[in-house]
Amino acid sequence: MMKINVKLVGMFRIGRFNEKRLEYPSDARVFDIVEDLQLPKDVLGIILINGLHAGEQDSLKDGDALSLLPMLDGG
Amino acid sequence: MRFLTTDPAAESSNILYKRCTIDLRTVEQRMEETPCRNLEDVLGGFGRSFQDLARRQINNAYCDENPLIVNTGLLTGSSAMTGMRTYFSGYSPIKGSKAGLPAAMWSTGSGKFGAKFKWTGLDELIFENRSEQPVYVVIKETDAGPQVELKPAERLLGLSTHDKIMALQKDYPDAHFAAIGQAGENWQNNFMGAVALSTENQLKEKEDKCRFAGRGGMGSLMGYKNILALVAQSSDKLKPLSEAVKKVNLNVVKGGGSARIQPISRGGGGGTWAAYDVLQEFHAVPVNNFRPQGNAIPEKLFRENVEKEYDIKSQACYRCGITCHNNISEKNADGSKGEFLAKFDYEPLNLLGTNIGIHDAGQAARLIQLSDNYGMDAISLGATISYALSYNERHPQKTFLNGATFGDYEKIHELIIQAGEGKLPEIGQGSMRLSQSLNETCYAYHVKGLEIPAYQPETNPGYAWAIAGGHMSMGTYGLLTREGKSDLDSWVKGITEDKLHIVGFDMIGLCKFFDIAKGIGTQMVVDCLKSEFDLDVSIDNIRAAVRRSFLRGLALELRQGYTKAEFCLPAEVFENPNQNIKLPNITSPEFIEKLEKRVWEIFEPELEGLLNA
Repeated sequence: MMKINVKLVGMFRIGRFNEKRLEYPSDARVFDIVEDLQLPKDVLGIILINGLHAGEQDSLKDGDALSLLPMLDGG
Repeated sequence: MRFLTTDPAAESSNILYKRCTIDLRTVEQRMEETPCRNLEDVLGGFGRSFQDLARRQINNAYCDENPLIVNTGLLTGSSAMTGMRTYFSGYSPIKGSKAGLPAAMWSTGSGKFGAKFKWTGLDELIFENRSEQPVYVVIKETDAGPQVELKPAERLLGLSTHDKIMALQKDYPDAHFAAIGQAGENWQNNFMGAVALSTENQLKEKEDKCRFAGRGGMGSLMGYKNILALVAQSSDKLKPLSEAVKKVNLNVVKGGGSARIQPISRGGGGGTWAAYDVLQEFHAVPVNNFRPQGNAIPEKLFRENVEKEYDIKSQACYRCGITCHNNISEKNADGSKGEFLAKFDYEPLNLLGTNIGIHDAGQAARLIQLSDNYGMDAISLGATISYALSYNERHPQKTFLNGATFGDYEKIHELIIQAGEGKLPEIGQGSMRLSQSLNETCYAYHVKGLEIPAYQPETNPGYAWAIAGGHMSMGTYGLLTREGKSDLDSWVKGITEDKLHIVGFDMIGLCKFFDIAKGIGTQMVVDCLKSEFDLDVSIDNIRAAVRRSFLRGLALELRQGYTKAEFCLPAEVFENPNQNIKLPNITSPEFIEKLEKRVWEIFEPELEGLLNA
C-alpha cells in the first residue's frame, strides 16, 4: 500500500474534501483514484503529480501529492 | 441568405447575402443581394467584414470613411445551440499601432438581438459616414423584405445601456435591441465603449442582464456615428429541430466541451468563474495589475466563499442548454433573493475585482454592474484602472487622478463613473495611451494596444498573435496551464495550427462554448450546415477558411503599421519576472526569440496576397 496526498480543486470538493491523505495499492494509477473518488471525467481537466502535469494513466509512488483540477476553458 | 448551390466552397458566388448600406449623412440606403466571394463570406462574421475593411485605408477610427459593419454568422438564428451571435466590425478607436493607425477589429456577443436581426431577412448592415443628430435604427421584417429606418433618438441620450433598452422595449415590445451606454456617447474621451445586446431574461425580468460585444471600442465607433441603438423587429423563425441538429445540440450540452461551463447543480464546473479555483492552484490569478503574490488572497472571490453571503442563480441565453451565467443578487435576511447585482464571469470578476485589489464580492459586483451600465468593455476598463492604481502605488508622493490605490473601492467607483461619463480620458482611452503619456509603459498590460484578459501573460506568449484581443482570438491561454506544454514545438504548433481556430466561432454565429477545444472545423458543424441549409462542406474546407480569415487579420495588422516588435508581451514580464507563478517559465527572452522566429517563418509566406482577394 502507499499513501497519496490528494488535493481536490473547485467543484470536486463538493461532498468530498479539500485535501486528504489516502491509502491505495502500490500499483494504483491516477485513473484508479479518479474512479475511487467518483470524479466526473468530463469535467476533469488538469492532473498534477507533485506540481507537474500528468495523465490519468500515470503511476504514483508512496508520498506523492496528487492534485485534481476541473477544466479551464475560457472566460 | 439565398442558396443556389449546395457547395459553398466551390461555388460561393451562388450564395447571396442580403446587405443594406446606409449613408448616415444623406440617409440614403442601398439594399442588395450580394454574391459571396468565398467560403469566408458564406460563414460570415469577421470572415466577411475583414475582407471589406481590407479594402479601405483608414488612418483614424473616428473618420467618416470608417464603416461600422453589423452582421451575423451563417448559424445565427438557426436551431443549432448557441447560434445567437452578432458581430460589430470596424477600425478600432482603442487598438492601434505605434505608428498611430487604428487596427481592424471585431467584437461579438450573444443575447437574442442577433437572431432577431437575422430573422428580419437582413444579413449585414453597413453604416457609412455619421449622423448629425442622434438616431436609433429600426430593422424590420416586412412582406416586401427587410426594411431599415432611422429614428430620432434625443430621448435616449444619457441613458445607460439597460435603460435605453427598457425605453425602447415600450415602443417595440416584440423586438430585441443593441445599445450603447454613456461611454459610447462620449466617444471622444472613451475609446472602450461596448455594445449591449438584450436578452430574454432582461426583457422579461426588467433586470440589467445584457450580453456585451465589448472588445475594441465598437460601442465608441457606434457613438461616433451617432447611433444610440439598434432595434431588430421580427417574428421568431426557428425551424423545427431536425434529428441531426438535435443530436449535435445534445452533444453540445452533454459533451465534454461545455461540461465545465454547466451549473454545478448539473454536475458541471459552474461557469467561467471556476477558472479562479484552477488558476489559483498555480498562483496565476491576476492580482494588483497582473502581479500574483503567491498567497491566498484570490480565494476570497471563490464561489464557495461568495455563496455564503450572496444569492447565485444559473441562467442561460435564449434556447441554450449550457446555462453558463452566474447571476449574483443580494441575499435578504430571510435567505431569499434580493436585488440583482451582476453576472459573474471570470474576466470581469477578476479585472474589476482581484486585479484591482477588490476582494469583496458585493463591491466587485457593483463595479461590474457600473461598467455594464455605462457600456464599457470590462477587460479594457479593468486593466487600465489597474495600471493607474499601480502607477499610484509606485509614486506615493506624486499620485495622479484621484490618488486611488489598490482596494480603494470608493475612489475606483468614482474613476469608473468619470470614465463612463467621458470625463476621464486618461482611463477612457486605454492603458497604451495612458502609459505612454506617463512615460512608464512596462507595466501596462496590453498587447498591440488592447488590454489583455485575466490570464497572466507569463502563461500565454500566444497573446502576441491574437488578432482581436487576448484569449478569444488565440486559444493558447490554456496551453501551459491546462495542457502543461512548455516546449517550443508545442507552442509553435499551438499558435500556428490548432489554437488560431478559435476565431471560427466569430464567423459562423456560434458561441465558443459550442466546442471551444476543436473550433468549427468539426463534424458537428458539417452536420448542422447540411441539416439547416443542405450545404455540403468538408471539415478541411471550413478549417482552411478559418485559417485564411485569421491570417487576413494578421496581414491587416501589419498593413496598419504594426511592426513585428509590437507583437510582444508587456515588458514587465521580462524585466521583472514573477517568481510566484508556479508554472514553467516560457517567457524568457531566449524562448520568446525562438518562438517569434519560428511562428513568423510559418505565417509570413501565407500572408501574401490575402488582402487583395
